[in-house]
Amino acid sequence: MSVGASINARGLTKSYGSGEGAFHALGPIDLDIKPGEFVSLIGPSGCGKSTTMLLVSGLEPPSAGSIAIDGRPLTKPITEIGIVFQDHLLLEFRTAMKNVLLQQEIRGLDRAESRQRAEHLFARLGLVGAEDRYPWQLSGGMRQRVSIARALVHDPSMLLMDEPFGALDAISRTQIRHDLEMLWLETRKTVLFITHSIDEAIGLSDRVFVMSRSPGRIVDEIKIDLPRPRPAHLGEYPDFAAYTKRIYSVFEKLGVYKFD
Amino acid sequence: MSDQIAPVTSPPTPAARLIRAGWLWSILNSVLSVVIFLALWEGLIRLFDVPVWLVPKPSDFLGRFLVDYPEILRNALATSVTLAAGFGLGVVIAVPLALLMVSIGALERGLYPVIVFLNIMPKTVIGPILIIWFGVSPLVSVLVVFLMCFFPVLVDSMHGFRAVDPRLDYITRSMGATPWQAFRYVRLPASMSHIFAGMRIGIVKAVEGVIIAEFIGSSAGLGFMIMRASSFMNMELLFCGLVAVAIVALIFNALLATSERIMMPWVRPR
Ligand SMILES: Nc1ncnc2c1ncn2[C@@H]1O[C@H](COP(=O)(O)OP(=O)(O)OP(=O)(O)O)[C@@H](O)[C@H]1O
Ligand SMILES: [Mg+2]
Repeated sequence: MSVGASINARGLTKSYGSGEGAFHALGPIDLDIKPGEFVSLIGPSGCGKSTTMLLVSGLEPPSAGSIAIDGRPLTKPITEIGIVFQDHLLLEFRTAMKNVLLQQEIRGLDRAESRQRAEHLFARLGLVGAEDRYPWQLSGGMRQRVSIARALVHDPSMLLMDEPFGALDAISRTQIRHDLEMLWLETRKTVLFITHSIDEAIGLSDRVFVMSRSPGRIVDEIKIDLPRPRPAHLGEYPDFAAYTKRIYSVFEKLGVYKFD
Repeated sequence: MSDQIAPVTSPPTPAARLIRAGWLWSILNSVLSVVIFLALWEGLIRLFDVPVWLVPKPSDFLGRFLVDYPEILRNALATSVTLAAGFGLGVVIAVPLALLMVSIGALERGLYPVIVFLNIMPKTVIGPILIIWFGVSPLVSVLVVFLMCFFPVLVDSMHGFRAVDPRLDYITRSMGATPWQAFRYVRLPASMSHIFAGMRIGIVKAVEGVIIAEFIGSSAGLGFMIMRASSFMNMELLFCGLVAVAIVALIFNALLATSERIMMPWVRPR
């Protein structure tokens, strides 16, 4: 099950609304992600990253273009998938553990086995002791980690993560980045990772897609050739500086940054 | 990732919560305020020397409870059964109908105006019609109770189902949930607080309805007992009836509050 899926998209476009009030939010973009590949999407706020994720997951229909998962055209939401939403979308009426185990209940998975996996993830994510708390009893960072556990507990072949570490402090971020890399090295799921952090994108990805301002298009694609697992302090690699510089210069060219 | 998670006052079991969050407390509280109220009443009537046939003192009619308790209890029980049946029927029909109406736009557009109209209309005027249809029977009271609580539950449930964050659909759909699962695991619990809000209004209306229905179309129940006591100018029994109605209302409210606490253990304690 955990063998990664491939994602291929052609001319993907999304407009919200219709007629006069329609808002062109994304594209057209092409995406080609190989099975087991770790790809990051980086771009300015509002450029359409979350929209891209919703289209790739089949949760929202594209306005134009098409997507194929493992070569099969996408017509309904993918279920072989784990999603971390930007605002985590935990169910306020379930405890942390029950939020994660919703996957088991709805998918009809083995209870004991899922429970064990969930506990393992809780330990891995520093959530031990939070199992029986409701979302309102958790900190923002903890909520985000619970939603990461929910996305992983059923061992999906594909992971879509929308700024999953956004609400974490810098120290936790570095740790969880490493944890995610290790997890991915073990299982080789296909990952589409959305982030605002250039460090994070370079620290995790095989390839980084850089998006332009709204309506977003993919303006650069950078292959990251760094050994894995990657260290906490990426500055050790001279290449890291080169990758960072390239992303900044793309943003400067697009006018995302204005430094005089 | 090793930040400590402060030991929260671990989520109490529903039973523990129940006791702490107030069953005993609220009962004790209300008993105390009732006692104070009765004492004031007694004192004032004695002070101004009001005759029993006009306003009886608690000491006049509370004694009747001991004498007439079989009759009062029997009628209170009849009223409670009617209430439970009518209210239960109301909830069991209103909640699914609310979901249907919210889910099917055409149904909502078609039915909602009718429902708004029926909601404004005083339900008790239907009583005499029901008596013609069904005769003087408990069924009339059950139907009046049903009508009284049906609309608040329906309207608030619709509100609740509509207020569910549509993005929660993303979660269930990406898990491959069936429509039933999406309802059972997400939509229903997410709208529960609205449904209970409707039921809280509904139960108040239902108590109002059951007494009026028993005034006009019943041969049992507290409403019937009060009406009869009134025609015999039996002031003491009449006031016993009033107190008994209040007690029945209190019990139903407490049952509802308790089931709310049990069914929604996630609600942040105030
Ligand atoms: N449901 C919607 N209806 C209308 N417009 C929308 C909707 N969702 C997003 N948009 C618009 O589409 C554009 C892209 O939104 P999107 O959420 O994909 O951006 P993003 O790249 O994820 O931004 P951020 O980095 O701030 O999360 C934005 O301008 C947003 O206002
Ligand atoms: Mg976003």
